[in-house]
Amino acid sequence: MNAILQTLVSTVVQGSMLALIAIGMTLVYGTLRVLNMAQGVMVMVGGFAAYTTVVRTGLPTWICLIVAAVVTFLLGVLTYYSAVKPLLGRVGVDFEMTAFITTFAIATIVQSVVLLIYGPRQKPFDPLWPGRIDITSDVSITYHSLIMAAVAIGALVGLGLFLSRSRYGLAITAVAQNLDAARLMGIPARRVYVVTMGIAAALAGIAGVLLAPLYFVYPNAGDLPLLQALIVVIFAGLGSVRGTIYASYIIGFLSAAVAIYWKSAYALPVLYVVILLVLVVRPNGIAGKPQEARL
Amino acid sequence: MNAASGSTTVSTAKSQPASIRSFLGWPKAGPIPLAVTAVVAIALPLVLHSTYWVGVCTLALIWMVLNQSWNLVLGYSGIWNFGQLAIYAIGGYTAALVSLHTGIPWPLTIVVAGVAAMLVSLVLAIPSLRLRGIYVSLLTFGFAEVVRLLVIADSSGVTGGTFGLSGFDGFGISAMAPEARSRTFYWIALVGVAITLLAMYLIVRSPLGTGLMALRDNPALAAARGVSPMKYQLVSFGISGFFAGVAGALYAFTYGVVSPSLMGLGQMTLLVTMLVVGGMGTLSGPLVGTAILTLVQAELQNWPEIRLILLGVILLAIVVLMPRGVVPLLAHRTGRLKSWMAQGNSAQTKSST
Repeated sequence: MNAILQTLVSTVVQGSMLALIAIGMTLVYGTLRVLNMAQGVMVMVGGFAAYTTVVRTGLPTWICLIVAAVVTFLLGVLTYYSAVKPLLGRVGVDFEMTAFITTFAIATIVQSVVLLIYGPRQKPFDPLWPGRIDITSDVSITYHSLIMAAVAIGALVGLGLFLSRSRYGLAITAVAQNLDAARLMGIPARRVYVVTMGIAAALAGIAGVLLAPLYFVYPNAGDLPLLQALIVVIFAGLGSVRGTIYASYIIGFLSAAVAIYWKSAYALPVLYVVILLVLVVRPNGIAGKPQEARL
Repeated sequence: MNAASGSTTVSTAKSQPASIRSFLGWPKAGPIPLAVTAVVAIALPLVLHSTYWVGVCTLALIWMVLNQSWNLVLGYSGIWNFGQLAIYAIGGYTAALVSLHTGIPWPLTIVVAGVAAMLVSLVLAIPSLRLRGIYVSLLTFGFAEVVRLLVIADSSGVTGGTFGLSGFDGFGISAMAPEARSRTFYWIALVGVAITLLAMYLIVRSPLGTGLMALRDNPALAAARGVSPMKYQLVSFGISGFFAGVAGALYAFTYGVVSPSLMGLGQMTLLVTMLVVGGMGTLSGPLVGTAILTLVQAELQNWPEIRLILLGVILLAIVVLMPRGVVPLLAHRTGRLKSWMAQGNSAQTKSST
């Protein structure tokens, strides 16, 4: 019983984190057809931005969320201008492949720069709100994980409203659905690209702040989130926002269950086997549409 | 008059296949450059006096074997396989385990490592080939990371966890003087590169290579003309896996250690940069790219902090500025130079007759 409760709590927390990170990747892929390998690095940079504001300057803890979001937004925009924009409209080069490689290069550069500035040591980061509440005698939830779930779900709802209500959000949706039609309607596609990359990075940055107390702050902190987000986006099918949210919670549940009932080191490999089986049955994920006829 | 026009048609008919061949990008092994390169490569350790530099060159040769194998899948077949480092590491671990636990002679161990890597590569290929485009890179990249994390998390002692495996005999030449030993390592690796290059040359010129390139350039048409995507690409995965495993075994035996640091993001950045700089889908591209970047790497050894930053910047700059790599660019330039000289030649002969 306790283990079941524990699993459910971790599912909500981990699923929300995964959704925050993976939504960014799927949004960018949906609008730009770029698989952003720099998303994991954004998580790490978010953690470092928060660490710097809280530990080095002693500002109140809540401000670090905003600082992290702004810093990663700018870094996302920078990624667009350095790694994606020069490739747009190139003839004779596979855009998706080259963009995959350039965003990968960005990830390496950012990670090494952070390593150069802060060093490889893991830095502790205090929870945003210390303390815990007991549900039963054995199971307790830390306030921090409540905040994680609340902030993540709040950000996702906000993103949903932004995409369906605001001018820019509708423009992003339109470009993702049909680039040519959106351009004919007078939507500035390039500006939409910039905003999308920025928002995707900012979501990852917020996730980075929330994850920092659990996993410490260090230059490789983005590797594991990237890997999990990749599994989520394959499972969901790239470009589908709704599918990504479902997939995040399913993957969150699976990894929590494996970690609690078996061994946490096996969580990723087990997820991997599940993904292999899903892909053998549905090559475009649970919600993705086939992009071309299979041969 | 008649005879003259007859001779011109003959000459154009003769030159046509050659131009088509160069247009298709089939490799032509020029005998003189090849011989010069071979002599320089063989004599290099005798000229270099420091064991350090011979060691650097040996590592470059091992990477050349790996990059050539990767190039077959990534460049010639156009399948976005980013899991090659895991296959390479599996070859290395197999070689280490076999020589730790059995007494098989080392050439056979290398073959065993290659076969083990080939089998893993084929298993990876089955789900990958069901997918298209970006999903393949996601799947294979994830596979490589999972292999790395599993090895790191392994506490059973089979793979040695983070520290890896060491203390195996390797080539069995540990009694040699250091200088002679490093030269022997170099020459063994050089033989590996030569065999791999020959194999790739034969594959690329064979119907298999043509089929792979056809599937890369126009999958629908190639499949309609009877080139089976599954069969051809599975074979390319298998061959590529075999040579990656051989590269891993060479690494294990040369350095006497295998660890999870064979894989990982930094290592992958380095090798992808080599491929991109040299030019994917060409025979000499991986060799040239590996040579250039190994030199850059070795020069930067004293500044390890900025090494990866610089690699990332080079990768980004090359993809943005010359997306097809150095070798195709040079080939294009020399091709234009040659055709310009040939034009001058034919104009001269015309005016003289």
